Amino acid sequence: MTERVILLVEDNRDDEELTLRALAKSKITNPVVVVRDGVEALDWMFRRGTHASRSEHQVPQVVLLDLKLPKVDGLEVLRELRANDATKLTPVVILTSSVEEQDLIRGYGLGANSYIRKPVDFTQFVEAVRQLGLYWLVLNQPIPS
Amino acid sequence: MTDRLRQALAEVSAAASAFSEQMTDFDGLLQAITASCARALDASVSVGLFGDDGATITPVAVTPVRPTVEGALEGMLRHARRFDQSLVGQLAPDTGNVFVPQVDLSDLRDRLTREAYDALEHFGIRGLIQITMRVRGEKLGVLTVIRHDTGRAPLDDFDREIATHLASVAGFAIANARLYRRVQDELAGRLSAEQVAQHMRTSETRAIQANAFLDAILENIPAMVFVKDADRLSFVRFNRAGEELLGIPRAELIGKNDFDLFPKEEAAFFVEKDRETLRNQKMVDIPEEPIQTASGTRWLHTRKVPILDEHGESRYLLGISHDITDRKRDMAALERARDAAESASGELESFSYSVAHDLRAPLRAIDGFSQALIDELGDELGEVGRGYAQRVRNSAQRMATLIDDLLRLSRVTRSPLHFQRVDLAELFHTTVATLQRDDPKRRVEISSSGDLVTRGDPRLLAIMFDNLVGNAWKFTSRREIAHIALAAEMLDGERVFSISDDGVGFDMKYVQKLFGVFNRLHTDSDFPGTGVGLATVQRVVARHGGRAWARGEVGAGATFSFTLGAKT
Repeated sequence: MTERVILLVEDNRDDEELTLRALAKSKITNPVVVVRDGVEALDWMFRRGTHASRSEHQVPQVVLLDLKLPKVDGLEVLRELRANDATKLTPVVILTSSVEEQDLIRGYGLGANSYIRKPVDFTQFVEAVRQLGLYWLVLNQPIPS
Repeated sequence: MTDRLRQALAEVSAAASAFSEQMTDFDGLLQAITASCARALDASVSVGLFGDDGATITPVAVTPVRPTVEGALEGMLRHARRFDQSLVGQLAPDTGNVFVPQVDLSDLRDRLTREAYDALEHFGIRGLIQITMRVRGEKLGVLTVIRHDTGRAPLDDFDREIATHLASVAGFAIANARLYRRVQDELAGRLSAEQVAQHMRTSETRAIQANAFLDAILENIPAMVFVKDADRLSFVRFNRAGEELLGIPRAELIGKNDFDLFPKEEAAFFVEKDRETLRNQKMVDIPEEPIQTASGTRWLHTRKVPILDEHGESRYLLGISHDITDRKRDMAALERARDAAESASGELESFSYSVAHDLRAPLRAIDGFSQALIDELGDELGEVGRGYAQRVRNSAQRMATLIDDLLRLSRVTRSPLHFQRVDLAELFHTTVATLQRDDPKRRVEISSSGDLVTRGDPRLLAIMFDNLVGNAWKFTSRREIAHIALAAEMLDGERVFSISDDGVGFDMKYVQKLFGVFNRLHTDSDFPGTGVGLATVQRVVARHGGRAWARGEVGAGATFSFTLGAKT
């Protein structure tokens, strides 16, 4: 049975916790898988390395991708996802602190589906996550598998 | 010395050496003369030579300044004509010199034959110089300079000076070339040995006179000019600029070689280049070479030219050196400054990036977990505790706003400018519409007047309007119906834009503090803000080359005015 999960790529434990809280507050019930760097994100997506044995029934409905990550950064993760047939259509939402123009241009250039700046104000953050969840998990029709 | 003068002297000196190289090729010389003059004067140039009787004039060479006038010029110059029917013969039969800086054809109609008039009209003449080339009182020919196109700069006295100078150098070159040709003919045996000897003596006298003239030119050229003997490479000539550059009197230079005068390594380099020039019989260009002088090391840009004798053997070496020490130093300073600016800007870039990314993360944690405290432990915290947690959140959010404002300020300072047409009225309306959307209950009437279309960087101007209109919006918030006006008017020949409101205004006593970073005239509880907005406005205006200033009165509103510099 297919399980539609959210993949959260986030190295900061605080941000992870806050994102999970925000998802919970927004009543989003999909399981959330958290990975903490770019290498782990790619391992999970491609079921290799430390995630070689993860269930293939887990399908990422949306990837929430931070840009500044240890080892392999977010843009590089995105590049690899887009270069691979199995993952090139997976919705990827960049969720980051940066609004540097260069990051936006490169993010969209590499095929990000959306780019959201994490607000400092937690109330706004919850609202952003709620809308994002509503859109990608409810409104948006995923590509047939 | 002006650049133009420097350039002209360089042209004259280049022409003089070009002419001397062409002495054995008469047609080549004539073509070199018109080509040099055309380049120096940015005009079409022709040379006509008088016949032996002095009554006819024959066009012998022409360099059109561009191909489109070639046909017309050639047509006019095709035939030998009587002097009194030539252009110069009609305009200045006595002096043989014509100088009309700006030709008014209707003025000339009565003074010219129909043919000449039509020809001038045909190639759109702007200015005309004609100079009779004379050598030792003998009229050789006429140099004609025609500047085309009515839209171009008229000829001026400076052009006439250059033309006169070139005509006189050219005259001597032509006379010498003729002389040379005649000597060649004579040597071929047409004349008796005695006649040859006679002519040679005359030629010698003439050559000496020609030399004196060339000396005068050489002496006054503002670049070091020297001549070396091809065998020993010892100096045989030196001009004044050379003496001054080296700081050594001429008497101590003539007869010496490089090893007598300069450090061994330098001298070896000079000599190597000399030998190369003489061996290949081609000009050698040395863009940069150091030379020891009485006042320390100087840097030269040098050209070395071989001077050949009649058998094609290298006889002399001519050197022309420009002192580029100052330019080189300026360039180096410029480069250092640019490197420093680039690395500073790169550091700023990565600093800003870290600020944007890394400083916000902890703030998000402070805000988020304070809310988590309220959510999870609200009851235990009690009202006071929840209030404190909320104040922690407020501070975190305020700091985030500050960071964003500072980032915007730094972006305004460093982002490259892209100028285009900007309609400030449109920008004004968009800005107000955004404010109205976020604050739908406010009632604000806006108006705009004057010529509000300008040139500028649209993104920077939008940031500026966010701040200026945002301020007007904020400080009129206590009015039931507020008014904000955008206006443009000409003041002292400068377009001044202003945004005025009828808000709380400010005391002019503090006007100096308005545009400083973090300076605020109101408490945060009265009107929230970070104190970065007007500093940002100031930077935007400065980057456009303009100024910003403010007027206000407590309770009677404020007006912020700015200009956007000459480019706009």
